[in-house]
Amino acid sequence: MAVEEKTIEENSNWQKFWNGFKPYILALVIAFGISGAIIGILGYNIPKAYQTLLFTSFSSQRGFVETLKKFIPLTFATYAFAIPFRIKFFNIGGWGQMLFGGTITAIVGIGLAGLNLPAIIFIPILILSAMLAGALFALIAGFLKAYYNINPIISTIMLNFIAFYFVNFVATNAPWKAPQSGHPMTLKLPEAALLPKVFNQIHFGIVLVILAIIAIYYLMNKTVLGYEIKATGINPDASSVYGIKMKKTLMITFLIAGAMGGLGGGIEVMGVHSRLIEGFALTSGAQYGIFGILTALICQGKPLGVPLSAMFISILLVGADAMQRTLQVPVELVFLTQAIIVLMIVVLRRQAGGSYIE
Amino acid sequence: MDNKSEVKVLETKNISKSFGPVQALDKVNFDLNKAEIHGLLGENGAGKSTLMNVLYGLYKEDEGDIYLRGEKVDFNSPIDSIRNGIGMIHQSSTLVPEFTALENLILGTEGNKMTLELKEAEKKIKQLQDDFGLKFPLGTKVKDLPAGVKKKVEIIRAIYRGANILILDEPTTSLVEKEFEQLLKSLRKMVNNGVTIVFITHKIKEVLKACDRASVLTGGVMQGTVDTTNATKEDLVKLMFQNQEINITESAIPIIDVPEVEKSEKPVLSLNNLSAKSKEKDGTDLKSISFDIYGGEILGIAGISGNGQKELAEVIIDPNNITEGEIDLLGEKVNGLTTNKIFDRNVFYIPEDRKKESILGRGDIVNNVLLGHQREEKFQSNGIIKWKKVRDETQDVIKEYGVKTPDEKQQIGKLSGGNIQRVVIGRALINDLDLLVTHSPTAGLDMASVEFVFKRLVELRSEGTAVLYINEDLDELMEVSDRIGVIHEGKLIEIFNQDQYDKYEIGSKMIGG
Repeated sequence: MAVEEKTIEENSNWQKFWNGFKPYILALVIAFGISGAIIGILGYNIPKAYQTLLFTSFSSQRGFVETLKKFIPLTFATYAFAIPFRIKFFNIGGWGQMLFGGTITAIVGIGLAGLNLPAIIFIPILILSAMLAGALFALIAGFLKAYYNINPIISTIMLNFIAFYFVNFVATNAPWKAPQSGHPMTLKLPEAALLPKVFNQIHFGIVLVILAIIAIYYLMNKTVLGYEIKATGINPDASSVYGIKMKKTLMITFLIAGAMGGLGGGIEVMGVHSRLIEGFALTSGAQYGIFGILTALICQGKPLGVPLSAMFISILLVGADAMQRTLQVPVELVFLTQAIIVLMIVVLRRQAGGSYIE
Repeated sequence: MDNKSEVKVLETKNISKSFGPVQALDKVNFDLNKAEIHGLLGENGAGKSTLMNVLYGLYKEDEGDIYLRGEKVDFNSPIDSIRNGIGMIHQSSTLVPEFTALENLILGTEGNKMTLELKEAEKKIKQLQDDFGLKFPLGTKVKDLPAGVKKKVEIIRAIYRGANILILDEPTTSLVEKEFEQLLKSLRKMVNNGVTIVFITHKIKEVLKACDRASVLTGGVMQGTVDTTNATKEDLVKLMFQNQEINITESAIPIIDVPEVEKSEKPVLSLNNLSAKSKEKDGTDLKSISFDIYGGEILGIAGISGNGQKELAEVIIDPNNITEGEIDLLGEKVNGLTTNKIFDRNVFYIPEDRKKESILGRGDIVNNVLLGHQREEKFQSNGIIKWKKVRDETQDVIKEYGVKTPDEKQQIGKLSGGNIQRVVIGRALINDLDLLVTHSPTAGLDMASVEFVFKRLVELRSEGTAVLYINEDLDELMEVSDRIGVIHEGKLIEIFNQDQYDKYEIGSKMIGG
């Protein structure tokens, strides 16, 4: 009897907090140590490199705005991965969903240009189109998993190709193609379709991303649907015994993920480029989809962890660009750092016996 | 204690072992005579497995010494103990299901050779099979063998690797009476050939039947060793339960007072000629099952595991794979309804596999109490969960069912089996039920928790709930059921009324006799 009742350990809150953060801090120290060593070996000034990497975002208003500009699409790309990840499915298609959402936004925006709609109507229409496009595009993968048991890793990677060439097709063919441009891009969207600037600096996407953060948090923590997604993630067998429909839950997570990705893509088109342009969902030459996966892995896809780790990665991305510009330290070194951070966090977390928060 | 002067085959002196704050073994002395069957008796969590794992080299003792044939030994891993002729057969199979029996037997014994010398090994193994009466086909894949045969394969494997001390951890868990008798015969033959056997069990009747001597462990303390040829059931009961006030039956099951209850006029649940496909690939389809359960009645379902019990439970709470016939709840046909709709009709389910199907292991108790109730008006409105309500209900469950936990935010997977089951039962009984479907709710629980579960089932019955109680253990079924139906290969063979209860009769129906 005594043995049966042993297992309950009572930790102080502080200790719980420390145990939760220990892997992150260790991972950061190790990752920065390794990349610091490489920066040193390659003959760059290590303190200066780190200073540039970590503080460019905060050293000027422009730096901070640049950071937010990366933070917005990155957060959406992260949710696209994080939500199906709650039930242990890998949506590698965040990038494709962004591309598809962005492309449909451009098509609808250019298509409705003749109607002279006011911004207050035009913008919501485009936002909804972007979300719907991304959602339906992602639903293909959810549907294939639910009814044909095709691994979403495979289907979403394939869908990424389709989305990429769909961008290409629209950006290089009439009636959307911009005449006389060397790079594949469409016509500019009408003025009323473009996201206005808020605080004179950053486009309206920042408001949308904050709304999305609140909505996802609310969904995951307060609603029956969020509960069912989490329950399915912890134990699909028990969840299905107690009446949670696996197929339905799975497809809903892909719908939400796709809506997030699609909106992220639409915002880039409406807020940053004013048109669809090939390569629009890239940062420092790498696609946001990959960074979204990386960001989600850092925070385990926790609704409130997503903006935090997205902000962290955005700071590094902006710092990396600056480092390359001013110190000629190749941007790839920062990707290396990020990769080591993620690997270390995953390993350390596993070693600590998995996560304790659910 | 007996005082044979000859050297003990194995002896422990003052073995202590603790896990964190819990003292699993407290200065345990234990010894084995050559060529005996030695019962090790105790409840779940008494320290039986811990003691044997120390002997097997899986755990390192904190204090104390182990002597093998008079010499002090120090085992650091099972490799050491296997080399010294100790073999352990764990409760659950450690065979590779995809391999044949022969492949399993030679696995790990190939040495450094690149080729398998199957012929030679086969000859040796056949000889062992003949010697000990442990016959089984060597070429059959293990996954196709019944549980009883798997046990035989594991025993031969240990002997083939040179074991002369054999530790059997709860070997009868998945065996039927007849298989147990057969196993016993083989064990006797082995003992006659000089093998010493430790027989771990929590069933007194098995010890009396199978063993020469028996030691009783409770709470990590050795209560004593008796010679079973002279000992009676009462002697063992006294050793086992000296600190507890539980009345137990002959089969060491808590005695429960089952009062007279008036049954409802109409059945709560009726199955009419019901056939249904199993959800699992290798499951058992249900074939033309008919029965009624009335309110205020516990209908037991007996059968060997895997004969359609799980499918029977699942088709009631999820009536969707029905190929023929119908299910009626309170007179209404429910074929094709979703689980949520069934639960809305005051039905709940306690599945067999606690960790796999009952709980969200990494979730806290609050989240677990909500599971299955998440769409009820009581706990949500318009899709928004009323978390305060859920927390209050959870605290009630913890209090009412005596769940030992620091608070409701405790991760449920970290609680003991008994405490998890209390949460699971509490969750099932949040609403007044018309029907409870429960599958082996007492599996792996200690005596006090078994008593708790039985009391709850009987209380439910008194409140007029219909209970479908599926269990493999006939003794437990006979203790609380008003009637017992026997299921075999997906068919309901017969339903016995209380005055017809006969263990051997029911048992023979279970194996299709």
